[in-house]
Parts: sequence; structure tokens; C-alpha cells
Amino acid sequence: MIERRMLLRAGLGAAAGGLALGRARAEAEPYVLGTLFPMAGPNAEYGTIFTEGAQLALTHITADKLLSRPVVLKAEDSQGTPQGGAVGMSKLVNVDHALYVLIGFTGVSKAAAPIGTRAKVVMVNGGGVGPDLAGLSPYYWNVIPLASAEVSRIAPFLVAKGWKRVALIYMDDPFGNGLRKSMQSDLPKAGGEIAGLFAITPAEQQFSALAAKVRDARPDAVYFASYGAQQAQIIKQLRDNGIDQQLVTYSGALIPSVRSLPQAEGLIFTVQTAPWSATDPVTKRFLADWQATHKDLPSVYHQNYYNAVRLFGLLAHGLEQQGKPVDGDSLRAELMRVRRFALVGGEGTFDDLGDLSVPIDIETLKGGQPVKLD
Amino acid sequence: MLLAQLLVSGIQTGLLYALTAAGFALIFGATRIFHFAHGAAYALAGYGFVFAVRAGWSWPLAALLATVLAVGFGLFMDAFVYRPIQRHTGSFFTVFVAAFGVVIVVQSGIEIGFGRAFVAVTSSLTRASAVLPGLYLARAFWIALGAAAVLFGALGLFLARTRTGIALRALAENPDLLRAYGLSARRLSALAFALGSALAVPGAVLGAATTGLSPSVASHVMLVSLAASVVGGIGSLRGAAAGGLVLGVAENLVVSVLDTQWSEAAGFVVLFAFILFRPRGIFGAALAR
Repeated sequence: MIERRMLLRAGLGAAAGGLALGRARAEAEPYVLGTLFPMAGPNAEYGTIFTEGAQLALTHITADKLLSRPVVLKAEDSQGTPQGGAVGMSKLVNVDHALYVLIGFTGVSKAAAPIGTRAKVVMVNGGGVGPDLAGLSPYYWNVIPLASAEVSRIAPFLVAKGWKRVALIYMDDPFGNGLRKSMQSDLPKAGGEIAGLFAITPAEQQFSALAAKVRDARPDAVYFASYGAQQAQIIKQLRDNGIDQQLVTYSGALIPSVRSLPQAEGLIFTVQTAPWSATDPVTKRFLADWQATHKDLPSVYHQNYYNAVRLFGLLAHGLEQQGKPVDGDSLRAELMRVRRFALVGGEGTFDDLGDLSVPIDIETLKGGQPVKLD
Repeated sequence: MLLAQLLVSGIQTGLLYALTAAGFALIFGATRIFHFAHGAAYALAGYGFVFAVRAGWSWPLAALLATVLAVGFGLFMDAFVYRPIQRHTGSFFTVFVAAFGVVIVVQSGIEIGFGRAFVAVTSSLTRASAVLPGLYLARAFWIALGAAAVLFGALGLFLARTRTGIALRALAENPDLLRAYGLSARRLSALAFALGSALAVPGAVLGAATTGLSPSVASHVMLVSLAASVVGGIGSLRGAAAGGLVLGVAENLVVSVLDTQWSEAAGFVVLFAFILFRPRGIFGAALAR
């Protein structure tokens, strides 16, 4: 006859076994990191670059055994559009159960942020520079300086060089309009003026008419704010159609298709300071391993997405050490608690909005290579 | 002078559109196949040209390679995609989906082979210089004009004066009657695909030199070809040529009164206007209801 005590013992044993099994399963379950990058279409070049940086960080986290659970990357193609961003983010949140998503592009970020915020999923941007991205959500952090900072840096430089009348070609989307507002505010403050505003659309490929209009505005310099393959088309067609004025842009131009374009020679752009001469161990390791594989210097995008994944590793490691769960809320709390992290480029500090402060250089292209001007 | 500059730019753009759209119109006019993958022929020709120029080939040899690629692709589509489909269902939807799938395969192949970045051929031919104060012209303009004149002239003569050309035009009307006269509808269909695809080559070569190419160029080219065909009259060769020219000029001229971002939209406003007020297009035949 089965006694009551025996039953109780068996029940407790089964419960303890179940708990242990559950814990073991949880420990074996990987942390899911999502990527929401453009992987097809005219902006796909960025998707490849962003992913390469993230993958190197993942390799280092695994090699260092930084976390008790494996980390996997789940990729969704944002197509560089708000619609693609919303669809991709929904899938990452609801199907893949990603708890930390790497994101790029302003329009994509603005469409995806409400979805990520509702699910308390951390989103880290290392590529989009629209000024509106600051403080987009408590779960949305930037590891890249935004365009407003880039424009503030370039406006006085342009005026000092004597290029006071600036024609602005900008994408008619959240990124381009944000940048236009910054330029309209910062250039007059520096003593310059907007010679003409020329809006373009993401799908546009013919710029001969635009060149005619820009020439008609008689600017001293032409600032353009586009992204992806379109940038190279703009540069080539402006130059081919007789625009000889100085061309100026933001950090988005640092992609191979622009750097390899002969007409881009002398292009001036702002970009976050490249830390390749830094001597801290994180930067040195990143640079050495990157060059061992790619035989070239990394771009700041590689650096940013490396830092975004490394940041996850450091935050999750801290939480594991404290015996806390790793989720959106705890990651944010840990970011606000620690604030300073050893990243590529040295020690980085995050502000209350979750944005990393980074210094900005003014550079020019010489023989396809960026050369510091200021 | 801005207006004159925009008109000249519009003509150059329109000529390239016209040549590409004419290829699509020739294929559709002769075979009644909605060859959505025509843009992929353009992309293959353009990338083939860029590849050859980068490899050190002369421009004529590179253009020859581009032609071989475009024609080979057209013949492949006819023999191995459209013909098997027509043997079974032959529905418009099946043909469209198959062509759409091929476009994606070609785009992916280009991305694997060339990367996802923009590519272009640099040449002094595309560098404009002032011919009048405020009016800039590149030698590419005259090349586009010459190529369009020669190709449309030769094609017009071929279709009007040769037995094969007349048979090609008859193919769309009554393939059974063609067979009764001992002509092969299959061979004529292949010829339509070869000629139509070859017509994409000048646009692709000049496009590689002027605007540059990206792997997704096929969709844009197809959109323009389709719009030009509707504006000019579905299936009409001279209609597609006129439609391409109208779209190119409209896209450029509109920026004299509207913001530059309306440039591409202007072409589609023209398209909608034709659909609403003249659905048969400029040269299309009126359909009996």
C-alpha cells in the first residue's frame, strides 16, 4: 500500500527533477540576437558591412566564453524601408524571440522602434544617423554619432573654407528631412546660406535634371544626403553634368562603391573618429583579427556593430554574474548602472538616452582612401 | 537656358528608354509573351559590358560580349522558360511568375558575381562640357542619338521590307496561317527574342557609362519599358520608342516647375493620363469592344 509520505516524496522529487530539467534547458537555450539590415536592393551593401562587424564580435564572445549560453544571430531583411523594418522587427520579436536587435537606417528604426519597445526588446543602431533617432525609445540606443552632430561639425568648416552658399540635395525621408533641418539651422548660424534645397526619392537613378537645377542655383559647394548605391550615382552624374563645385556629404558615403568611384576623388565628408591608432587591448584585438581576415582597414560601421554586439556580451555577462535574468529591462538597467564600457575605440560612455558619445572628424577621399582634414 | 538643358537631358534619357522599351515591345508585339525578364537582359548586358571593360577589353568587344549575353539570355528564356509553359498552361500569370523568378535569379547571380555595390564605366564620353552658356552636352548624347537613329531605322526597314520581318509581324496575328505558309513560328519567336534582347544592349552600355548600374536595375528598366509601351501603344515598336522619349523628356522638364523629387513621378503621371484618356497609346490600334 502506498503511503501518503511516499507519494509526497515522489511528487517533490518529480517537481525538483522538472525544475532542474527546465533550468538545464534554459541554460542550453541560446541568446537570440536579431539583425534588421538591408540585405537586398540598392542598400544591400550596408547589410553586408554591418553584419561583418557583428559576426567578428560574436566570434570573440564565443572564444572568450564570456557568456554561459551560446549566442545566435537571426537575420531579417529590412530592405532599407520603413515597411521592411516593421515586418522584419515583428518577425524577430514574435517568431525568433530576439531580445537584442541590431538595427540600421533611420526610416527602418522609426518603424521598428514601437514594435521593439512594446516587446521590451533592446535595439542598437550603428548605421542610421537621422537626428530623430536620439531618445527614440528607452530600449533604442545609438553607438554612432547622429547627423545633427555631423552637420554641426561641417557647417563652420564650409564657411571657413569660403564655401558659404551650399546647395543641399537630400532624401525626402525621415533621415534626409532631419538632416535638412539641421543644415537649415546650423549653416546660417555659422555664417553661410542654403543656395537651394533639392529633394530626391530613394528609387531615383537619373540625376541629370537635378544637376541642371543645382548648377542654376550657383552654389559654392554641394552637400548631398543620400545612402547606398544612389550616392555613387549622384556623384558620378553631378560631375558628368558639369558640377565642378566641392561635393560634401556625411559618413554614409564610406562604402566601397563610393570610395572606388574616380569622380568621388576629393569628396569631403564627416565621420566618427577612426580609432585605429588606439592602444587599448579591445581595439588592438579587433583591428588585428579584422586585418588578418580582410587584409584591409575596417570601416566605422564594422566598428559600430562590433561594439553593439560586444556591448550585449558585457551587459549579459554582468547580469549573469549577478544572477539576474537577461531581458530588455535588465539590459537597460545594467547599461544605466555601468555606463562606461571597454569598446573598440577605447572606453565609451553612454548618456541617459542610451547614446554613445563619439568625436567626429572631417575627412576627404584621396585615391579612394579617407584622409583626415580637420 | 535651364529649360533647354532639361530638354537635352530629357532627350538623352528618353532615347535610352526608347531603345530598351522597343525591345520589350518587339517581343510582346510578335509573341504576345509578357517578357517581364527583359530588364534582366538589360542587367546582364550592362554587367557583361562593365566586366569586359574592367578586364581591359576595348569598348566594341565589350559591347559584343554584352550583345552575346543579352541575346543568349533572350533565346534561353524563349526556349527553356516560355515554350515549356506554353506547352502546358500558357497562362499569363504562370508566364509572369516564371519571368519574375528568373529576374530574381539573375539579380542574385549578379550580386554574387559583382557584389551589391554600384558599378559604372568611367569614360570621357559622359563628361559634359558647355556648348553654350548654361547648356552642357556630353558626347554620349550624340552617341545615344546616333544609336537610336541607326537601330530604329534598320529595324523599321527589316520589319517592313524583308520577308522575315513581315513574317515576324504576322506572328502575332495568326501563327497557324504562318505554318500554312511553311514558316516556323518557333524560329520566328526565337528571332523576336534575339532581336528584342539585342535592343536592350545600347541602353545597357550607355547606362553603364552614364548613370551606372546596380544589381536591382532590372526592375527599374522593366518598369520604364512597360510604361513606355503603354504610353506608345502596347505592342507597337514605334509607339514604344515614342513613349520612351515622352517619358524621358517629361521626367526632366517637370523639374523646371516642380521640385526635383517629382521627376520620376512625372513619367507615371503621363502613364496614368494615357491610361485614362487614350488607353490605346500614341500609336496603338483601337480595340473593338
